[in-house]
Amino acid sequence: MALTGRAGLLALIGVFVVGLLLPSWQGILVLFGLLVLCVAVDLLLAGGVRRLTFSRAGATSVRTGEPCVVQLTVHNPGRRLRGVLRDAWAPSAGVVADRVAVDVPAGGSRVLSFELRPLRRGDRTADRVTVRSHGPLGIAARQGSHVVPWIVRALPPFHSRRHLPPLLERLRELDGRRASLIRGAGTEFDSLRAYVIGDDVRSIDWRASARSPDVVVRTWRPERDRQVTIVLDTARTSAGRVDGALGGLPRLDTAMDAALLLSALASQARDQIDFLAFSQQVRASVPRATLPVLVQAMAPLEAELVEFDARGAVSEVLRRAGRRSLVVLLTSLEPSMEHGLLPLLPALATRHHLLVASVSDPAVHAMAAGRGDLEAVYAAAAAERTLAERRRLTALLARHGVDVVDALPDDLPRALADRYLSLKAAGKL
Amino acid sequence: MTAVSPDAGRIWTAARGPLLIGVIILFAAVVITLLRGSGEGGALDPRSFRPEGSHAVARLLEQNGVRVELTDNASAVDGATLFVTQPNLIDPRRLADLSGRASSTVLLAPSPGLRRLEVGTRQPGCPLADGAGAATTGGFTYEGEQSCYDSTLVRTGTVTTIGYGGIFTNRDIDEEGNAALALSLLGQHERLVWYVPSAADRSQQKSLTDLVPDGWKYGALQLGVAVVLLAVWRARRLGRVVPEPLPVVVRAAETVEGRARLYRRSHAASHAASVLRQATRDRLAPLLGVPPGDDPSEEIARRTSRPVTSVRALLYDREPVDDRGLVALAASLDALENEVRKA
Repeated sequence: MALTGRAGLLALIGVFVVGLLLPSWQGILVLFGLLVLCVAVDLLLAGGVRRLTFSRAGATSVRTGEPCVVQLTVHNPGRRLRGVLRDAWAPSAGVVADRVAVDVPAGGSRVLSFELRPLRRGDRTADRVTVRSHGPLGIAARQGSHVVPWIVRALPPFHSRRHLPPLLERLRELDGRRASLIRGAGTEFDSLRAYVIGDDVRSIDWRASARSPDVVVRTWRPERDRQVTIVLDTARTSAGRVDGALGGLPRLDTAMDAALLLSALASQARDQIDFLAFSQQVRASVPRATLPVLVQAMAPLEAELVEFDARGAVSEVLRRAGRRSLVVLLTSLEPSMEHGLLPLLPALATRHHLLVASVSDPAVHAMAAGRGDLEAVYAAAAAERTLAERRRLTALLARHGVDVVDALPDDLPRALADRYLSLKAAGKL
Repeated sequence: MTAVSPDAGRIWTAARGPLLIGVIILFAAVVITLLRGSGEGGALDPRSFRPEGSHAVARLLEQNGVRVELTDNASAVDGATLFVTQPNLIDPRRLADLSGRASSTVLLAPSPGLRRLEVGTRQPGCPLADGAGAATTGGFTYEGEQSCYDSTLVRTGTVTTIGYGGIFTNRDIDEEGNAALALSLLGQHERLVWYVPSAADRSQQKSLTDLVPDGWKYGALQLGVAVVLLAVWRARRLGRVVPEPLPVVVRAAETVEGRARLYRRSHAASHAASVLRQATRDRLAPLLGVPPGDDPSEEIARRTSRPVTSVRALLYDREPVDDRGLVALAASLDALENEVRKA
């Protein structure tokens, strides 16, 4: 049950009735009795809310920050229903207008559309649908809630996809599919074909030309069908919020962005992607990933406040990756890595090429440049100590033949993709 | 069935707890109000032992055979001394009526007085209080047939007015002739009515509510009903509040900031200095083409025309540094780095 503003308004008018006509306790009681009667009549005649039935349709996933529409169908088996309906979602689902006026005839149905604009990545679930059904006098209303489950998965925004066109251009250059001034930089022998004017004379295969009526050149292409294993660290360090161009985002979100750009590029280069999210155990696993599947797998991942189990992650990678592959570990360069990952590197490095990508914090760089007063200089010393620690780790990793990309959050996706391309060009996959 | 709204049974189950608590609170309030007697403790209260109370005077009067009756509703004053501690709170007509019936009346500092006067010890200078001698008086001066203590104590007929109540308090009763004056003023008759006006006396005045026509009092009650109904209208929520499942998010630089504060608190200037020196060496080594870990001092000296010893002192000196020296060191390291970058 719920009252409307009219009930209060009637009581306010009653002030004059009591003051001028019925100045007594009886007057107040009579007016109150009348009001109670009106409320009872209204409640009796209002359309029932308990027996309504609901169903949903519409979007089940949307890229974070973009709009989508979820439909809610109300079926009314009883009397005509007039009132207000609220479709409640958690605030981060970003429902533009969650309450609408409804008017459902007896035995009829209505389809209501709600626009969602999720603010945050992850599964956004619908809470309750609440209906307030007004009586004919508009003084009181019946109210009731229903559970109508629905989940909209807000996918990672993939902001770095704007970097993709120039990267693909570079990939095509590498491939020889695009005419360029430099000699095709492929590393794998592809085929022989007849010489055409403009080909580099250094690529003429003399031995083949001798056997053939024409001059024959060799063509090269970059390596393909290599395996790229992306390991995403979702443990405590990935929860750290780092400020970038898009505001403060957890390291995890930046790492996801980088992983998506790398996967998009690698799938264009016809490499096979294997995705693994790991903290203490496997959080998500997508073998032979394609971009849509990957995005779906990443969406519900959140950072956990546990230590990254490097031993578990390495053994999982070794178990899954049968042949030699590029293992990209998206994590954070932390002193704890020295005891976690470093002792395991020999086992991993003999079979695979490891690339560690880490989100560095612009706030630490800003602190390191701080001068002027004592506080700023102590902050600078603390920041320098952290940076020195990272440099030392980078050097230690490099000694084991590990590539390290340590970049600011805005630069990391591009830097990682560039490193991948240069590894590919050098034939190191 | 998807409905989750509560039926009557569930409403009763949910409401009985709060209802029980409400009943207990109400019961406790009633019991406490009934058990707690009237409080003792106001200024010039004959029951109060505090410095500003008047237990001592009341006790003295009783020893001298005067019956002290404390009242907040003086009615039986015939043949007694009436002592009014706050005459300003009483309707003047009622006060005149009371003092007419009483054998003698003592008023304490009624308004308006003639002028203000410092509180201090004064000589009586009149036959009215000759027995008492010097006493603590002051406050206001008044006009009357007989006046003593520079007009701070006057008598007109049976009504005595005193400008300051210090002589009746526990604190000042033993000063000078205060006790004698108090006794002579209040002990004139066998019975003393000590009148502390209460709210009941003041209600004899016309209050604002008396001026409102009777009908509108009920109108105001109805207004209360309307306000409650409007509150019920606004308070009813359309569905419950939906909680937001927030992810764990920590500012990544927090550990670095924490370490900076630790350095600062422990005045680890020497340690901070060696970290800053190491950082400068690490940054300069690749610029100069010196292998990392080697001493770049000679190369720097060669490029910047600074003496080797001073460069080495800046980059390697192990002397302890204090807080002020640390700021200066950071500045000179920056200066050196800039010079190398320009050279």
